[in-house]
Amino acid sequence: MKRRKATLTAAAAGTVAGVVGLGLLALPTSASSAPSLPPVGAEQLVESVLRAQPPAMGGAVKVDNALGLPAVPGVPEGTALLAGGQARVWLDGQGRGRVQIASSGGEQTIVHDGSTVWRWDSASRTVVRSSHPEPQGVPGTVDPSAMARELVGRIRSSSAVAVDGTARVANRDAYELVLTPAPSERTVLREVRVAVDAEKRVPLRVTVLANGSSDPVLQAGFTELTMGQQDAGLFRFEPPAGATVKDAERHVDGPSAKKAGKPTVVGDGWDTAVVVDLPKGEGGQDPLALVKQVGKPVEGAYGRGWLVSTRVGSALVTESGRAALGAVPEQVLAEALGGAR
Amino acid sequence: MTTTVDLAAQPAAGPPVPRAGTLRLIRSELRWVLRRPRTLVALGLLALVPVAIGVTLTLTDGIRAGGGAERGGPSLLAAVAGNGLVLPVAALSITMVLLMPLVVSMAAADALAGEAAHGTLRGLLLAPVGRVRLVMVKAVGVLVVAVLAAGLVAVTGWLTGMVLIGGDGLVTLSGTTVPLGTATLRVALVAGWVAAQMAAVGAVALAISAATDHPLVVMAASMAGLILFGVLRSLSALDWLHPVLLTEGWISVADVLRDPMPTEGLLTGLLRAGCYVLIGLSVAVARTATREG
Repeated sequence: MKRRKATLTAAAAGTVAGVVGLGLLALPTSASSAPSLPPVGAEQLVESVLRAQPPAMGGAVKVDNALGLPAVPGVPEGTALLAGGQARVWLDGQGRGRVQIASSGGEQTIVHDGSTVWRWDSASRTVVRSSHPEPQGVPGTVDPSAMARELVGRIRSSSAVAVDGTARVANRDAYELVLTPAPSERTVLREVRVAVDAEKRVPLRVTVLANGSSDPVLQAGFTELTMGQQDAGLFRFEPPAGATVKDAERHVDGPSAKKAGKPTVVGDGWDTAVVVDLPKGEGGQDPLALVKQVGKPVEGAYGRGWLVSTRVGSALVTESGRAALGAVPEQVLAEALGGAR
Repeated sequence: MTTTVDLAAQPAAGPPVPRAGTLRLIRSELRWVLRRPRTLVALGLLALVPVAIGVTLTLTDGIRAGGGAERGGPSLLAAVAGNGLVLPVAALSITMVLLMPLVVSMAAADALAGEAAHGTLRGLLLAPVGRVRLVMVKAVGVLVVAVLAAGLVAVTGWLTGMVLIGGDGLVTLSGTTVPLGTATLRVALVAGWVAAQMAAVGAVALAISAATDHPLVVMAASMAGLILFGVLRSLSALDWLHPVLLTEGWISVADVLRDPMPTEGLLTGLLRAGCYVLIGLSVAVARTATREG
């Protein structure tokens, strides 16, 4: 009897241990308290962010998005990541970098080796080589913190900037920089929060909050980060055997960019709208047909059109295939279509 | 003289009766498990899956034209073309979803519920073998089936990939090339990982097996559990629950095909499987210990 009791006790302990273990795995890993850091002026912080050189680092980036955007098949890289995905990033601090965007059963790798940008897609097994990359476009393609830096640079002049405490991102201390649109800006966004590394002044996390919701509509940030020299082999790329290697046309990002025509930017700051001509596709791939399916029919000075609204912005597409996009209400898009005509 | 008196007083409790060695018990259990025709047939069919995939891919010249990647489906298969060492990993990721759990839960069903159905469990419970030990021996039997299942698929997948599709080294999903030796190690690693996941399935199935007298119930319950997990995983409203589900981390199998290899998903999956093994074995032991002898 005694032995049976001991057995049952051990079994109960084992079950409890297993359940607790599962519970620990399910717990979110963040939950660390905000570190105390020396105070810093908001303008000073922004300046240091814009001036900071990207250091050598490696880490993982996670994108969470609550936009409610439908996944559109056949769109190029980055979109998969934006729809809520993970990427691994390595930078050597001298302009070379590597990004790997994982999808289930596939991966896209972008390597910038100093003179050439290689884009590998495991699904089609193709390598696209751009030998004369635009000097401006390159860091942005492989460095998420550079994108955040560019965002801060663009909207700072039309924003109220403040430092709102500190945060801990990817085990590093960070300042929370908050950019709120100035009252004159017509936007659906409430604020953009950027967690800036206290030591290296690199943006570690960007959170976008929209009006009428306390949950971020978009959050992109490092979940894991190590500063310091990375393996040099990561910044080289050799097309594997059996891969199709294509040369990219100069200054063209994707096959559809040429057909789509050059986008026009209307306005600046938070209420920027971008006007583009939609590329013509065939069959089910036609973007206009897709917009007709998901959009709400509207009418205005531009004629008939369709409005696709998300929580961070909208897109207005006219019958003639012109589209205006921005983090703005419908009216601003209509004006943008009128103004850019 | 006194010892005999003690023995008569508490026949089921103490260890004085000569016990069979654990190793001998395991050996006889394994002989019992591996000589069962249904185990052999199931393992054999499982081993044929990578061969079938390999032959199909060779005959149809890859499935890239099918555009499986666009739907975010199992595009691992698309990566197999001309890249033989992806085949064992793709085969493991396909079979581990339902086929392998089926084989493992079958072994678990036979282990306790099957014996109960035949009336042979009674003899085992009365035999001079502790019940904890009995469950552990049965668990080793299930574990061996799990290891064999994953190992066979990996080995036949590796052989088929090398013979039919070929390719020197492994082209990873990240676009780098890994030499043959490292690639083979990675295949072995993922086979071990899949075996651990199957051990978790087997442990839970063993717990069900200890609770019922009908082997069919064990298999039905295991399969239903896996399907239920799949349904729960597809509900994004329940995403707080997802890290608890065993099948949640199974997509990490593809991680061995990435370079540098991300270890976090694999490690979490291993810990999760460990928790399931612990729970399954504990329940199985508790149930067997309280069973009427």
